[in-house]
Amino acid sequence: MTTTDSTQSPTAGAGPGDHATKDHTGAGEPLFGPGSQFHRLFNDPRWALAMIRATVLEAAHPQIGAALIENSTFVVHPWRRLGNTFMSLRRMFGPDDQVRQREAARLNRMHARLQGTDARDRPYDARDPGVRAWVVATLFESTVTMCRLGGQPLEQKTMEQLYAEFQAFLAAMGDDTGHLPPTLDEFWPYYDRVVDEELENTEAMRIILYKLFDHLPAPPLLHGFPALWATGRTVAGPVVGAITVASLPESFRRRAGLPEIAGVETLMQGAYLVAGLARFLPEGWLQADKIAETVMLSPDSDDPRARTMAALREQMKRAGALIRLITPLPPEPEPTAAPSAQRSAEEFFAEVLDQTGDGYLDWPDLAAMAREMAGRLDLDEPEETRLYNAYADWWRELQAALDADGDGRVSAREYAAAVPSLAGPALIRVAEVLFDVTDKDGNDRIDAEEYRTLFRTGFRRDTPDADGTYSRSAFINDFLSFMSARRRTTPYDPLLADA
Amino acid sequence: MGDGPASPLATERTASPHPRAVPRHVACVMDGNGRWAAQRSLPRTAGHRAAETTVIDVIEAARAAGVGWLSLFAFSTENWSRPNTEIAFLMHLVRRVVRKHAPLLHARGIRCRFLGMTDPRIPPALGRDIADLMTLTEQNRRMTLTVAFDHGGRRDIVEAARSLIRSGVPAEAVTEESFAAHLPFPDTPEVDLVIRTSGEQRISNFMLWQVAYAEWIFPPALWPDFRAPDFLDCLDAYRQRERRFGGVLPHQNGESRS
Repeated sequence: MTTTDSTQSPTAGAGPGDHATKDHTGAGEPLFGPGSQFHRLFNDPRWALAMIRATVLEAAHPQIGAALIENSTFVVHPWRRLGNTFMSLRRMFGPDDQVRQREAARLNRMHARLQGTDARDRPYDARDPGVRAWVVATLFESTVTMCRLGGQPLEQKTMEQLYAEFQAFLAAMGDDTGHLPPTLDEFWPYYDRVVDEELENTEAMRIILYKLFDHLPAPPLLHGFPALWATGRTVAGPVVGAITVASLPESFRRRAGLPEIAGVETLMQGAYLVAGLARFLPEGWLQADKIAETVMLSPDSDDPRARTMAALREQMKRAGALIRLITPLPPEPEPTAAPSAQRSAEEFFAEVLDQTGDGYLDWPDLAAMAREMAGRLDLDEPEETRLYNAYADWWRELQAALDADGDGRVSAREYAAAVPSLAGPALIRVAEVLFDVTDKDGNDRIDAEEYRTLFRTGFRRDTPDADGTYSRSAFINDFLSFMSARRRTTPYDPLLADA
Repeated sequence: MGDGPASPLATERTASPHPRAVPRHVACVMDGNGRWAAQRSLPRTAGHRAAETTVIDVIEAARAAGVGWLSLFAFSTENWSRPNTEIAFLMHLVRRVVRKHAPLLHARGIRCRFLGMTDPRIPPALGRDIADLMTLTEQNRRMTLTVAFDHGGRRDIVEAARSLIRSGVPAEAVTEESFAAHLPFPDTPEVDLVIRTSGEQRISNFMLWQVAYAEWIFPPALWPDFRAPDFLDCLDAYRQRERRFGGVLPHQNGESRS
């Protein structure tokens, strides 16, 4: 993990930068890695609020909103999505140019797969450079606003450098810098114009503001404390929504018809201020990426951090038990059936298949699975396309077998009614391709290291054969028994079903 | 492990001539609730309710006396044949008692475990509360309280045999120790003293394996009338007996006999 300390002097790896864009500042400050402004701000806890705000501003852009609604898994798997975003940002803003180029290529391939038309038949395309410029613009503007609202506005020079870094970020993606205005002075009119003319009250934005935080599933680490999580969420959910609304540009709030609630403005500034106070914490206490990774960890993982967390989990478990025991009994005791080893068809549909959470199984759901696996395995071309193609073939197979009403997608009811024998030839093909791309050294066995890359945990006791590796047939069997027998507690659960 | 530090009271007692330690593991068969109620022309359920006070009293007395392991026989597999209303009442009562006393038991450093608890007729809500109580107190070591609930001694032995067979141990390799390791809560030491109230003198399928070398005491008091002083009397009686046979028995206080 890279050091994200701002106080440490930039060392050898720091600031190779992007030579093409480095001239923007002229000051020789590194645009990426330690020493950059982005790095200095990376662990600021106000980012949590700023990122939500930026995401809302992105979602309010009709093209991005449509892409999110159609393809994104953030409603059902927000924590996984958060972890992936952090990983990506760290690669993009890290000191290593090679890592950055690879990540940019990966993002470009991913974006190339995100296109279509929205509900009003307007096309969207995640590769549209104007759209991508807007994403970068919201990230930059939210960072500036976060400092302003937190009571420590950035100095003009710092702001200019930060702007140059975000321009370099866009340039690293291969887009023309021309889509973001060349100077900071020209940025603000551009920003105001997009806010005034292009943003809409989109469905994606409303979901983020009013649904996501009210229904946010517990992160994997806190599974088993549904009551505890729900209680906190009931209080925090609406507050996060209200705070975010209050921090949006006034003209947009008016036009989108977002409510003004008395006092929320103060609450919002207070929240930014308090979060900003965390800068007085000792060095290293707050490391955004570590927090994100820890929250993402599945409790069953054998990662050393998970073991550390296991102790904390024990404490939490006892606290949860005590709270339940001393909570007065509800008038009617609710029956809580223990989860069975096998999911019902409905559960499997909701927890595994319907990745985007729209109630239908559609190509974006399967694409999201392919995306998650490709991301974990850090696939390059042509393996990534092979995996996507295998999933696409499986989608056609599913569609042909299950889409009874011919609307092009599979509803939960259609899936349950078919009580499907999912293990058709195309699914077996997915298993085979997944095996091939997981088996990096191509020796037709998956060793412990390759296994860990995919599942982020070591072998279970019964996984490996006598020679300590995982054979093709066992791998394919296990994959099929998860996908078609809907078996729980396999290593696929944390991969595909966790929030 | 699991042995709490000896209480001051225990130390004081060991000062007597030919001392024998406080029994390490005491088990109580809580008998006489129904008769207690019948004597007062009350419904049987009133007897169960009155038992709660005794349970807490005995737990406290055992803990103060330095008993490391206390087992209570609350409900046997045979008790399911009682009338449905009584069973429903018992389940509700246990749930109420568990919830009411959980913080106290935890604060007293008592680890609570439930032996049995396999029958699907146990209400899920009760099951969850009991699981919570076990989770809450699992790190405590001052005393271990084992509540035999839906327990059958023979069933435990049969289960152990099954588990042994499944593990593929060759017949010659089975010893008393290796067999005992397949019983539920294998870290539980042998029972040193069984107290069965109300004068009844039966084993009733209670922890059959663990009571093999136990001393038995049958106080005449019905369980709801049984109190801390009665419990301490039983501990004293246990020590007197030992003094009579002092040093002859090879096995003392739950030590392994091998």
